Amino acid sequence: MSSGLRIGTHEAGQVHASCQTEVEVKHGVGLHARPSVTFTRLAKSFPCSIEVAVNGSDVWLNGKSIIKIMGAKIRKGSVLKIRADGILAEEAIRALKGLVERNFDEEKKHGRPA
Amino acid sequence: MAAPLRLKGTSAAPGVANGPAFVAEPMAPAPSPPSSISGHAELASAVDTAIRELRDLGTGADSEGGDIVEFQIEVLRDPTLTEMAGARIDAGENVAFAWIGTLDGYIRELECSEEDQLRARAVDILDIKNRVLSVLTGTPVDDFPAGSIYVGKDMEPSRFLAHDWSAGGGIVLFGGSAVGHVALLAKSRSVPMVIGTGRFTTEGGQHMGVDGDSGVVILKTAKHHATSTQVSRPPTSTAPPLDSGILHTADGAQVLLSINVNAPDEIDAIPVATTAGIGLVRSEFAVTSLGDAANEEKQFEIYRRLLDWADGRSVTIRMLDIGGDKPLSGLTEMSSLRGIRLLLARPEIARVQARSLLRAAVFGNLRIMLPMVTFPSDVDDIRQIYREESSLLASRGVPHRIPPIGMMVEVPAAALMLDQFENADFFSFGTNDLSQYLVASAREQADFARYQARAVPAVLRLVARAVKLAGKKPVSICGDMAGDPSRISDLLAVGLRHFSVAPDRLPTIRSAIVGLNADGTRAAGE
Repeated sequence: MSSGLRIGTHEAGQVHASCQTEVEVKHGVGLHARPSVTFTRLAKSFPCSIEVAVNGSDVWLNGKSIIKIMGAKIRKGSVLKIRADGILAEEAIRALKGLVERNFDEEKKHGRPA
Repeated sequence: MAAPLRLKGTSAAPGVANGPAFVAEPMAPAPSPPSSISGHAELASAVDTAIRELRDLGTGADSEGGDIVEFQIEVLRDPTLTEMAGARIDAGENVAFAWIGTLDGYIRELECSEEDQLRARAVDILDIKNRVLSVLTGTPVDDFPAGSIYVGKDMEPSRFLAHDWSAGGGIVLFGGSAVGHVALLAKSRSVPMVIGTGRFTTEGGQHMGVDGDSGVVILKTAKHHATSTQVSRPPTSTAPPLDSGILHTADGAQVLLSINVNAPDEIDAIPVATTAGIGLVRSEFAVTSLGDAANEEKQFEIYRRLLDWADGRSVTIRMLDIGGDKPLSGLTEMSSLRGIRLLLARPEIARVQARSLLRAAVFGNLRIMLPMVTFPSDVDDIRQIYREESSLLASRGVPHRIPPIGMMVEVPAAALMLDQFENADFFSFGTNDLSQYLVASAREQADFARYQARAVPAVLRLVARAVKLAGKKPVSICGDMAGDPSRISDLLAVGLRHFSVAPDRLPTIRSAIVGLNADGTRAAGE
């Protein structure tokens, strides 16, 4: 799976973009509290909007809201669509996808990946 | 030094006190209704404070504890919660209720989740709900130095309650009312109080005296009086009998004697076995701010404490009788409504109290009493709230019970139609309001006392009729009239057999009852 669509414009030196990707959750128990905290914290560190849809649903959830993410019943094998819109959208998508692929850094615990 | 200057006022609570004057600023007009913008800012800053507190907690915690703290902080920063609470604030909800309303919704969602992982998080959310609530509502009332004489145009009940009176002191009001709520509190705490002196000037710190027995204020007293209080207390030579407040008239009719309670610490000095329990808890004096009204846990603790003290005896807690001359600090809107009308207009306040009472009810013999009921539909509407909150508690597995729900009889329209109140489990007469509404006088006016005395025959006639209309349901009286020994004869004669009085009236009323026959006539040999 690779980053999909990208429409970029330059605004005051920052890239305003729309980006979307798909990634499968491999983590054993899915997104319980700790991985959800890691995910939403990372999402919040980007200025763009970030939304998540689970298993082909057309309901897009706010990816910065732990309530929404934890309540989405994301389990092992769930496929997440992640989309971002705004400044640093492309970087956000790359970082979040990487986090899911690395099993939410559960071994390292917390912290934003370098 | 100039000779002491004496000012004549009206006694509102007996006793004599001397001390430095504390001159209160004119009561600030109720703060203008906070705009929704400041509500948003207030919540944001309370959330920030809560996050800082959690960070401090988290630094010393092990990794497991640290995870929980991190999760709680992330929830506090959740944009969805901010939006939901913000929408409630924009819709006109007070910021504390907007916060608990939002969080309660989320907690219920979690508790009903089929996943253990999610259900287990509910308690973490409950914790942050209360943490932010306590930040939001932690602003203390302006206090004044212990031992001073409060001088001002008027005094807020919450200010009286927040003050430490153990060092003595007294109250002088330029205006005020002898049957007002602060006077009622002053009597129950033995704080000397004089009202209706008219405006006078004294400097803060200038020593002065209050003679609540004769209704006189002495200005510019010599300083050597220092701060002292001599309260004339009723003689305590004979210990009151431990009869659980079950008395008998001279001809053998059983009469119950209970106490009225304002703030929960009033019961500490009273042996429970001298009473039949608490006939009236004025919960608006225990729950004095909007913050407390939003705080389910705090209310639950207060009610539980009263039930624990009563040790199985009946405890009748009246729901918040706020509005009118009893404002709830922080509640600025709709102050023209009072009692049950305000509770039904602001169900978020009623619901928090209902939940605390439902939960407390499993700890003793609780009865819930509704204030200022006018129509049977008032009782129906409150019952509906209790049913709804009860089923929500049940779905969460929280222990609770719907206790008997009765009503104050203090609005003439209700007193005349008492047989129509099939939905009320018991009745208690509030003679202060009944008198006031019968003679069309405002309670705030100092001259109401004059009308009140002349209204007695009309009140008695109405009570006599209402007691008959009540049928077999329990009936009691908790108004001031029950604490006046000269009225006991009349009250027995109209059929009342349960009196609830201020604790300091117990000995007087006890001896009045046992010296009379059940029909109110004086016992032979008395």
